[in-house]
Formats: sequence, C-alpha cells, structure tokens
Amino acid sequence: MQAILSWQLLFAALVTGSIYVLVALGLNLVYGTMRLLNVAHGDMVMIGAYVSYWLFTLSGLSPLLSMLIAAALTAALGALAYVGLFRRLLANRQLVQRLEGNSLLLFFGISIVIQNLASLAFDSTPRAYQYLDRVVAIGNLGITENRLAALIVTGILSLVIVLFLRFHIYGLAIKALMQHREAATVVGIDVERVQILSFCIGFGVAGLAGALLSMMEQITPFMGFPFTIAAFVVVILGGLGNLLGGMAAGLLLGILETYGVALTSPSLRSVLIYGVFILVLLVRPQGLLGGKRVVR
Amino acid sequence: MIGRWTIPLIVALAAACGVPFVAGDYLIGVALSLAMWIALTESWILLSGLTGYVSLGHVVFYGLGAYVGILLWGEVGGVLAVGGAGLASGVFALAVGYPALRVRGPYFVMLTFGLAEFCKYIVIDVEAGLGQFSRLLLGGPSVLQLYYVVLGLAAAATALTFFVARSRLGYALRAIRENEEAAETVGVPVAFCKLAAFALSAIIPGMVGALMVARSSYFEPSQVFDPIVSFTIVTMAIIGGSDDARGPFLGAALLVLLSEILWARAPQVYMILLGILLIAFVLFAPGGITGRLLSRPVKVKP
Repeated sequence: MQAILSWQLLFAALVTGSIYVLVALGLNLVYGTMRLLNVAHGDMVMIGAYVSYWLFTLSGLSPLLSMLIAAALTAALGALAYVGLFRRLLANRQLVQRLEGNSLLLFFGISIVIQNLASLAFDSTPRAYQYLDRVVAIGNLGITENRLAALIVTGILSLVIVLFLRFHIYGLAIKALMQHREAATVVGIDVERVQILSFCIGFGVAGLAGALLSMMEQITPFMGFPFTIAAFVVVILGGLGNLLGGMAAGLLLGILETYGVALTSPSLRSVLIYGVFILVLLVRPQGLLGGKRVVR
Repeated sequence: MIGRWTIPLIVALAAACGVPFVAGDYLIGVALSLAMWIALTESWILLSGLTGYVSLGHVVFYGLGAYVGILLWGEVGGVLAVGGAGLASGVFALAVGYPALRVRGPYFVMLTFGLAEFCKYIVIDVEAGLGQFSRLLLGGPSVLQLYYVVLGLAAAATALTFFVARSRLGYALRAIRENEEAAETVGVPVAFCKLAAFALSAIIPGMVGALMVARSSYFEPSQVFDPIVSFTIVTMAIIGGSDDARGPFLGAALLVLLSEILWARAPQVYMILLGILLIAFVLFAPGGITGRLLSRPVKVKP
C-alpha cells in the first residue's frame, strides 16, 4: 500500500501520460483535419526512437538534440505519405465514400511495411542505451534525470502546440479545417497546405515522443502498435479536435496504466491497455465523431 | 452465375482431391496451407465482404479454436475436439458480436483488432499462470488426413459463403453494407442478420485452428493469435475481391505462392510485399482481381 501511494508512482504515471499526450496529438490533427485513421501513427514513435538510439550509440549525440532530427525525419515521412498516397486517396471520388475505412487499410499496410523494414534493418532484438540515468532527489522523491527531462520537454512542447493552434495563422487554419471543411475553403484557406502541415506536425511530434521514450525504455521494431492503440483511446476519450481534452485523457490513461500495473502485475499491461481500448469503443460505439464536437 | 462458376469449382475440388496421388509431401503441405487460407478467407468474406463490417481480428476465432482444440484433443479425441473448437468459436462470436456489432465502420475494424490482441494476452497470461508456455500435441493425424479434412472445410466455407450470398440473408447483409439505416427502415432485422453472419463466419476458422495445431503438434498462444493471420486474411480477400465467394481463390493462391517462396528465407520481405500489395489494391483496384478483371465494368455511383 505504501508503494501505491508514493510520489514515485504518480511521477511515473505523469511521464507515461505525457508521452501519450504527444502521440495522441498527432493522431487528433490528422483525423480532425482529413478524417484519416492513422493506425501507423505508433510506428513514427518507433522510428523516432531508433533515430535517437543510433545517433546516441554511434556518435554520442544527446537524445535531447537528436529528438529534433527524429522529428524532422518523421515529419518528412508524413509529407511523403501525404503527397505519395493520401492526396490520391482524398482526390478519388469513389474511395472517399469510405474514407475512414480505406485510410485505415492504407495506414495498416504502411504500418506493416515500416515495421518489417525496421526489423530487417535493425533486427528485432530489444535495444536500449543509458543516458542521464542518474537519480536526483526532489524532497523524498527520487527520479531519474531522463524522465524529468522528458516530462519537461513534453510539457513545453504541449504548451507550444496549444499556443500555436490558438494564435498562429496556420494553427487557426488547422482548427478551421477541423471545424468545418467547406467553410474553411470558402474563407480562402489553402486546404492542401494545411493538410500537409497537419501530417508534418502530427508525424513529427510522434517522432519526437519516440526519441524521448528511447531514453527511458527498451525499443523494438514492433513497439509502435501499443502507442497507436493508446493514442486512439486518448483521442476518443478526450474528444475530436479537443486538444485540452486530449491532454487530460492522456494523463488519465497514463495514471490508469501505471496504477493498474502496479496493483496487478506487469504482465497484465497489454491486457489493461487493450481492455480500456475495447471498453471505450463499446461505450462510445459512435466513434470519434459522436456527440458534440468541440474545437478548442 | 451458378452455371458459370460451379463447374470450374467442382473441377478444382476434384483436382485438389487428386493432389496427394501425384504430389510429394512438400506439395501436399503447400496444398494444405492453400486450403486453410481459402477456408479462413471465405469465412471472413461471409462477414466482412458482405456486411462491410471489416474484421481485422479474425485470428481470434482461429486462435480460440486452436486453444480449445489442444485442451480437448487428448481428452475426447480429434473429431470431438475439432467440433468443440468450432462450437466454442461460434458461441464466442455470438457473445462478443452482440455488443461489438453496434460499433460501426472503422471503429469496428479497430475494435476487432483490439479484441483479438486482448484475447491473445489473456490466453498468454492464463497459460503463464498455469505454468504452461507452450503445449505439445502428440499422436495427431497425418498430414494427408489433415489435408482432406481442411480441404473439406475449405469447400464447406466456400459453399456457405456462396449460398449465403445468394440467400435472403445475403441480400440483407449487402443492404446493411450499402446503408444500414435504410435497411433497417425497410424492415431488415439488422442486429440479427449481423450477428448471424458473425457467428457463421467464426465456426470454420475455429475448426481450422484446432486442425492447424494438430498439424504443427505445438501450441503457443502468441503464435496462434498472431495478428499476421488476420492481416493475411484481409489482404487475400482484398486482392481477390471481397464481394463474393470467388475472390479468395485468387488472393489465397497468390499469397500462398509468395509465402512459399519468401516466408522461410525472408519473412520480413514477405510482410513488406504484403503491405505494398494491400496499399496498391486499396488505392488502385478496390474491387480486387475479381472486381477489376473478371466482372462487367464497375458501375459508377452518381
């Protein structure tokens, strides 16, 4: 009981939750602006994690710097996926009729390709490295520096994104597209450009989250899917286009997972995540679009 | 349609029965794989092809059947074990389908995937709790016997999908796919039809799962619940064309061939090709091979 009530666990929950917040954010953007269900989203986390892993092991570059490279690379992949595949999907009148389903199948294909390319290139043994793993004491809370750094970075980045969407002209354009596509076109928003931007931000943020994650956990080519699932839970719970809701939901899921595992056993982690996922879908069968849409 | 396709199918079935007389063990094994995938994909089409409720978790029935099969085989013998596996899968589908089929479109797709993974981890945890990480099945049937049984199931699955597609239920299911609200309005018992299709599509995969455990004489939860199985089924159906019973033959033949060439040597390359095929067919030929090559020109919806 002592362990359950400790600050230690709360901190771990916050770190996990903050990573979920970042990952879910990208999913929210891509779904919100284009109705594309990106089930390959977690694989961007994996790519970001490998970028930081290799840069650190080969050249000793700090993950706190290489996360920018990871973000740039995954953002570029996002632009590539949009230009190469999804622009075509969105332009095809027949395919658009079942846009969500078709986008899901496409992203699923992409996910399989990426995972297996990664497993071909890096083999599937779990990898990890040590960086900033000294324990610092704050009061009677002992935490590793890398977790603290991850929490600070995710906090700052979330704030930046919220401000971007609230005040920047392109942030406002993204929100306009989420709210009402036709109206956004009418007022002269360059839909094409905003869609590429959504892909880039969404994928880039996921890549950055992966870079942060690589400091703290083992990475494998197949680590992405649980993050996709978690991100869907967060987006469904938090509400489409509702970024503040998404943040609350991300932290909630982090807490749920961390405490759930602490109360039962680590082997139940996957059961827990998938259980919550199933429950959320069953309770909200109308999916992301159901109920009120609040764009904040 | 019946006249045009019945004869080639019967010829194919007869030829398949003759395979063991002319082929060696290796080819019988390949034919067994082919029959297995046809059985699985035909079952999938009964649900997902006809209703548009795309299941990305069909492996759950296969895995459940395998689990029930390995638990029962030593106790009650092969025939009852396979029957029990099919029954268990069907009952499971009824129980799960009731809440799950309220979930629409892409959310159903994700739900089925999540459900299959959920069951996988549950079985892994149960087995770990029992101290079992894998189980062996000794004294199972020969590959030849298995081949004929699975071939029979493939034929049964094809016939089932074929006849359901042309029955009242089949038209109801297609109506649900095109517009569920409209179907309900004109009096189609939507919930019942969906549930019936779900259960029907679960029974044969359950039996196949039990038989495949007998083939490998080895049971490991993460192997029989491998999401790759679901993924392969969907890809086969989409490559072949998922609106009727013909599609899976082409899709399954193509992928089994590909897998024989690549799986043992380079499984990742095989999976990458699978992913690329899926992407290409969704984007460029959503009707699959049958939709694109064998049918009349696609009607363009206004």
